Amino acid sequence: MAGFVAVLRKDLRLELRTGESTIALVALSLLILVVLVFALDPVGGVRDAATAAGALWVALIFAGMVGSTRAMLSERDHGCIRALLLSPIDRGALYAAKLLAAFIFMAVAEAAAVLLMVLFFNLDFDSRLLRLAPIIALGALGFSALATLLAAISGRIRAGDLLLPLLAVPMFVPALIAGVKASGAALSGAPFDAFAQWIKILVAFDVIFLTTGYLLFEHAIAED
Amino acid sequence: MMDAALIDARGLNKSFGTIPILRGIDLSVAPGVAAMIIGRNGAGKSTLIRLLAGLSAPTTGEAMLFGASSRTLDAASRRRFAIVTHQSFLYPNLTARENLQFYGDLYGVPDSLNAVPKWIERVGLAFAADTRVRTFSRGMEQRLTLARAMMTRPDVLLMDEPFAALDADGVALVASLLREAIARRCAVVLTAHQPVAIDGLKFDLYEIVRGRLLDTSREPLAASFRAQQTG
Repeated sequence: MAGFVAVLRKDLRLELRTGESTIALVALSLLILVVLVFALDPVGGVRDAATAAGALWVALIFAGMVGSTRAMLSERDHGCIRALLLSPIDRGALYAAKLLAAFIFMAVAEAAAVLLMVLFFNLDFDSRLLRLAPIIALGALGFSALATLLAAISGRIRAGDLLLPLLAVPMFVPALIAGVKASGAALSGAPFDAFAQWIKILVAFDVIFLTTGYLLFEHAIAED
Repeated sequence: MMDAALIDARGLNKSFGTIPILRGIDLSVAPGVAAMIIGRNGAGKSTLIRLLAGLSAPTTGEAMLFGASSRTLDAASRRRFAIVTHQSFLYPNLTARENLQFYGDLYGVPDSLNAVPKWIERVGLAFAADTRVRTFSRGMEQRLTLARAMMTRPDVLLMDEPFAALDADGVALVASLLREAIARRCAVVLTAHQPVAIDGLKFDLYEIVRGRLLDTSREPLAASFRAQQTG
């Protein structure tokens, strides 16, 4: 537990000091939403909740990839990842700390992305956004779990940054579909029962990849 | 009766592709013993340290620390072991104090709040305790690396060219840290380009030549090293 706290505190301290990940994630989310707004409806017609939800999840995926990659990249500087591997910290605790750090960076970026989505897609600031929060949180948690594991693998190989999206996006598709459907329904004011099954899929995805990441991280991060 | 070796390599071979780097390395280091391994650039010194630490898997053979494979050490054994390599393992955007505090927390160093300033003072970096490591010179970074490794009071210490980038004071610092470590029966393996003499310390001297480890108590040093020692 002490190792988990030490690694998480260190990651948060580094981020508070430099803001590298959060700024990059927010900027990327902004860029993606701007591009999608113009690409989907350049003349400013009616923007529906489903389109807004889709745009938000595209921003979530790409921001998540940047966040997870950066969280692992900071460990590659000066060989710090080797120090962590040689230290007494449990590999599962190390995974949990890196995952939680990536999730926090992603959550901050997603909060900013939701605000931008409301502005760009002419939505209202009302209670529907509160219904969106747990859906986005589940998506961000699942994607952090998946991307942290994959970033540990891709960080070991040359051009691994390119490999991460190739691995992560196809694996995230089930959660992406569920997340977009649930978010669209939540934003359009549908009752909870109408999208409960999509939430269940998101929860299942999170459980699967949290467990997989916890069990496989030790092998993913070990050097040859 | 001799103490059991804390560092033990048996028949270590390492190849990268078809290129052999280390061939049949046998090395045993007991508590309170320091082994110095010398060799030219590319001789395989750093690879040997990585294998002993478990950072890299041998092609064949076995590297053991505390009687267990160094690739599968448990947390308790990892807590008793420290390494100094060409990479500092320091976070450039953390200060010297924050870096040591992080490693102190990670290793569960007792009373780390007091131990950290003591070690910063010990390695002569009190003036830069709250400066980010990214502004440090190579020598300052090496001093902080030594503090990072020694503050955990390891029972096994692996050092890859610890004298690199250090001035005369820095070399004296390494010497005093090594003396203390040996005095509390730490097993040490360190590498260097050429033999280094330290007052009050006697090393078991080995030389790596073309991937083979030669015990200089039984086999003579290469001519160039012999000249440096006698010169």
